[in-house]
Amino acid sequence: MIKTENLEKVYRTEEVQTKALNHVSLTVEQGEFVAIMGPSGCGKSTLLNLLGLLDEPDGGSLQLLGTETSRYSERQRAELRKRSLGFVFQSFNLIDELTVFENVELPLRYLGVGAAERRQRVEQVLEKMQLLHRRNHFPLQLSGGQQQRVAVARAVVNAPPLLLADEPTGNLDSASGHDVLGLLTELNEAGTTVLMVTHSEHDARYARRVIRLLDGQVVLEHSRGQF
Amino acid sequence: MLPYPLLLIYRNFKRFKSTFFINLIGLSTGLACALLIYLWISDERSFDRYHTLDGRLYQVLENRRTAAGIETQTGTVPLLAEALRREMPEIELVATTTPVPFFPKFTLAAGGLHLSAVAKYADPAFFQLFSYPLLVGTPATVLRDKHAIVLSAALATKLFNSPQNSLGKAVQWQMGTDSTQTSLVAGVFARVPRNSSEQFDFVLPFASFKDRMQMSETIKWDDDGPFTTYLALKEGADPAQFQAKLAGLLKTKSTQAQGRTLFVRPFAAGYLHGTYENGVVTGGRIAYVRLLTLIAGLILVIASINFMNLFTAKASRRVKEVGIRKALGASRAALIVQYLTESVVMALLALVVAVGLVQLVLPQFSALTGKPLALRWEWPLVAAGLALALGTGLLAGSYPAFYLSGFQPAAVLKGKLPTRAADVWTRQGLVVLQFTLSVLFIVAVVVVNAQLAFVQRQPLGYDKAHVLRFDTGGKAARQQAAFLSEVKKLPGVVQASSVLGGFLGGRYVAEMSWRGKRLAVGTMLVNYDLVETMGLHLVAGRSFAPQYRADSAAILVNQALVAGLGMLDPVGQRLDGARIVGVVRDFHYESLHEKIKPLLLQLDPQINTVLVKLQPHAEQATLARLQQLYAAYNPGFTLDYTFLDADYQAQYVAERRVAVLARYFAGLAILISALGLLGLAAFTAERRRKEIGIRKALGASELSIVWLLTSSLTWLVVVAIGLALPLSYLLMERWLAGFAYRVEWQWWYFAAAGLGALLIAWLTVSVQAWRAARRNPVLSLRAE
Repeated sequence: MIKTENLEKVYRTEEVQTKALNHVSLTVEQGEFVAIMGPSGCGKSTLLNLLGLLDEPDGGSLQLLGTETSRYSERQRAELRKRSLGFVFQSFNLIDELTVFENVELPLRYLGVGAAERRQRVEQVLEKMQLLHRRNHFPLQLSGGQQQRVAVARAVVNAPPLLLADEPTGNLDSASGHDVLGLLTELNEAGTTVLMVTHSEHDARYARRVIRLLDGQVVLEHSRGQF
Repeated sequence: MLPYPLLLIYRNFKRFKSTFFINLIGLSTGLACALLIYLWISDERSFDRYHTLDGRLYQVLENRRTAAGIETQTGTVPLLAEALRREMPEIELVATTTPVPFFPKFTLAAGGLHLSAVAKYADPAFFQLFSYPLLVGTPATVLRDKHAIVLSAALATKLFNSPQNSLGKAVQWQMGTDSTQTSLVAGVFARVPRNSSEQFDFVLPFASFKDRMQMSETIKWDDDGPFTTYLALKEGADPAQFQAKLAGLLKTKSTQAQGRTLFVRPFAAGYLHGTYENGVVTGGRIAYVRLLTLIAGLILVIASINFMNLFTAKASRRVKEVGIRKALGASRAALIVQYLTESVVMALLALVVAVGLVQLVLPQFSALTGKPLALRWEWPLVAAGLALALGTGLLAGSYPAFYLSGFQPAAVLKGKLPTRAADVWTRQGLVVLQFTLSVLFIVAVVVVNAQLAFVQRQPLGYDKAHVLRFDTGGKAARQQAAFLSEVKKLPGVVQASSVLGGFLGGRYVAEMSWRGKRLAVGTMLVNYDLVETMGLHLVAGRSFAPQYRADSAAILVNQALVAGLGMLDPVGQRLDGARIVGVVRDFHYESLHEKIKPLLLQLDPQINTVLVKLQPHAEQATLARLQQLYAAYNPGFTLDYTFLDADYQAQYVAERRVAVLARYFAGLAILISALGLLGLAAFTAERRRKEIGIRKALGASELSIVWLLTSSLTWLVVVAIGLALPLSYLLMERWLAGFAYRVEWQWWYFAAAGLGALLIAWLTVSVQAWRAARRNPVLSLRAE
């Protein structure tokens, strides 16, 4: 599903050059639930951004779903994102001006799905997330847990094979966090590959494998139970 | 349920109300200006276009090589139409006519009613060439009979109650001081449309004019003529080929016509493209069409810049959305389309408001431009409106669309706008551009008004105050001398005289020679006492006087003529056989656009355009006496008069309109720019909220905060002023170059414009700055 070799990312300002990722090589198989862990500033989110094609690497190779993407054009990356990737962010990243329904519907719009099918699929996923009664609410009218459920609904509405989650429980109380992690587990069990960035040991336990980063490098990989 | 883009706009409006209104006001005022200008321009462009044969309809003009270069004239020899009809098979119809300004108004009488009306003589093909639909009569035959007269419907109704009633009725008419003629009504035409370059009330057969003037029946190619010749080419005839054939015509006809070339121009083009220099068309009213198009474009640019600036300024609040959409798979193109749609829908909304604004100000705008303009919902207007809105929307949305969609999603997903030097420069550049244009408009207003004031102040060489002008007719014209001498005796009349075609305006120019020197000299035909009536100043010799019988062959000349010929002692010299008896100081018989040219004044006591100098403060009583006297000579006639002062002002109608329009447009440009600055100031204050909080917590005064916020924007305005001043100098210098007599540049024109722009900018920004400065720092810091 994912294979990186010597992946690099460098941030430059006028005076300082920071290596955010330093020769990262890792593999994620289809159907896995992987957690990426490490302290703040270790490069977790940078790695997730690269894997999600939200940013371009400065070196190395990145294979997604069997294709090399490190030299993809903006258009090719957008195409792959909308067909094969789902995102869940720490700060939910819902569009405040759109209702729950419209937020969830967005990926389908970009896929060019017709209105009737869009409605059916959005309602289906909202029902599953127990959000159907909130469909006409705006994000700011919902609790944090509900907002993150909307974000998960949006991430999976187009049934992507790969789901990327960046600190999905970071802004949630423990009960809501538990809910969201439960949802991710369910999706993984249904066949979706899940890659989650977290600095919570508790959350990482939901994953079957953990990759630990420090200063932009992979320092440890182990499976659940080996903590 | 609203369509998706509208829904987004609606929700954005709810979130950013003030920005929405600033955008709406800016764009709608800009579009309203553009629409008003579009209405004016389309009216200008419609002139003379309504003829069925438009496209095949041409006017014959002539280029003459003179010592001063090639002169282009509309006047052609009297029998040109007949000659062309014989020799040019490409021609379908051709007619020679007299131009309308050629005669003063004629007097018409029927059934005891006397009217003065504007006449035109024309060949029989006239009503076939031009589409003045006949209510009575048929186009091909209506002017065939020498004793025919064709009236306008309004004139026929006045004289005979209805057009139908007038057929075959006798009308008595009089041209100037000529004897009365009788013609029979052969036709009646519907009124001449307002958008016709010539307005006339009745048409007489050109054949009758030929008889009257005892013109030769065969064409003399060397002749001059003030007559205008129009033709329609046959369908399929090649105008270029015809043009080439016509150009060679005169040379084959006369050995003396070597420097003369005939050519045709499309009839309808004459209205807008009527000015020739050295044989080449250089402009005309089209200059104003271009100027206003430019102004409309600039105002739309200013309004669009507002939109761009406010959109990108609040982009920090929208970049997160860009990141999310991109993460969800939106391509850059999809985002560009989304933002462009948003701006186009916004522009369409502004168009709706603009149409309302146009309806509101249209009466004033019509009065200002002297055109009865109206919003008619026909497809050209609808298309123009939509095109304007679409163009503005795309222009205004282009920068935000490309700017916002260009971010890497990872960079903006956290909602932080990466500051790129290029973006800051662009935003500031746009403000500079806006204010540059505003300052340009202010300088234009100042200069145009200064020039108009100069026109009022400039010594003209004559006294235009309290001078009445009218054309006599009837018995007053036939007994011109007796009538004038009675006018002079009226209490309240200082002096009276007459002059051919009025005192102001261009003159018939012919080349004259003196001792081998040649000079183009204008001729003014005048009556006794013109010098005294107009307060002209004699610098040598004497004025015309009845006691000198030889004065019929004498002339007065102006200083320009004396200087042009290099005469040292002009009085007593002979110029083409006429003896110079006096020299008058140069006076502005044309507008200040023209240099005072060599002029001679020749005596002709028969002229019937009368000038009467009245004593000040008693005009009304004197006018009543004059009307009484006129009525005694011409019972049933009305005295149709104007004041010379008004005629003088009428020479600057176009400039006065430019002045008022410039004032309005400058106001709007400044309003829109100030709105943009207001929005930008609000954004800056918002962005620097934390900084202001920290500064205040560390003890900064409110005033220093205001300075902090205003100074950066002040610099932009200063740069704009620096750019605008030389630019405005160049542009206005070009405008002033159209005047032979003009104001000199004053330093304060620029100072006023610059200070004005600065003041407006400060006022706008400081309101926001004060609000930001007065905010409780604790709140700002806590919010962070």
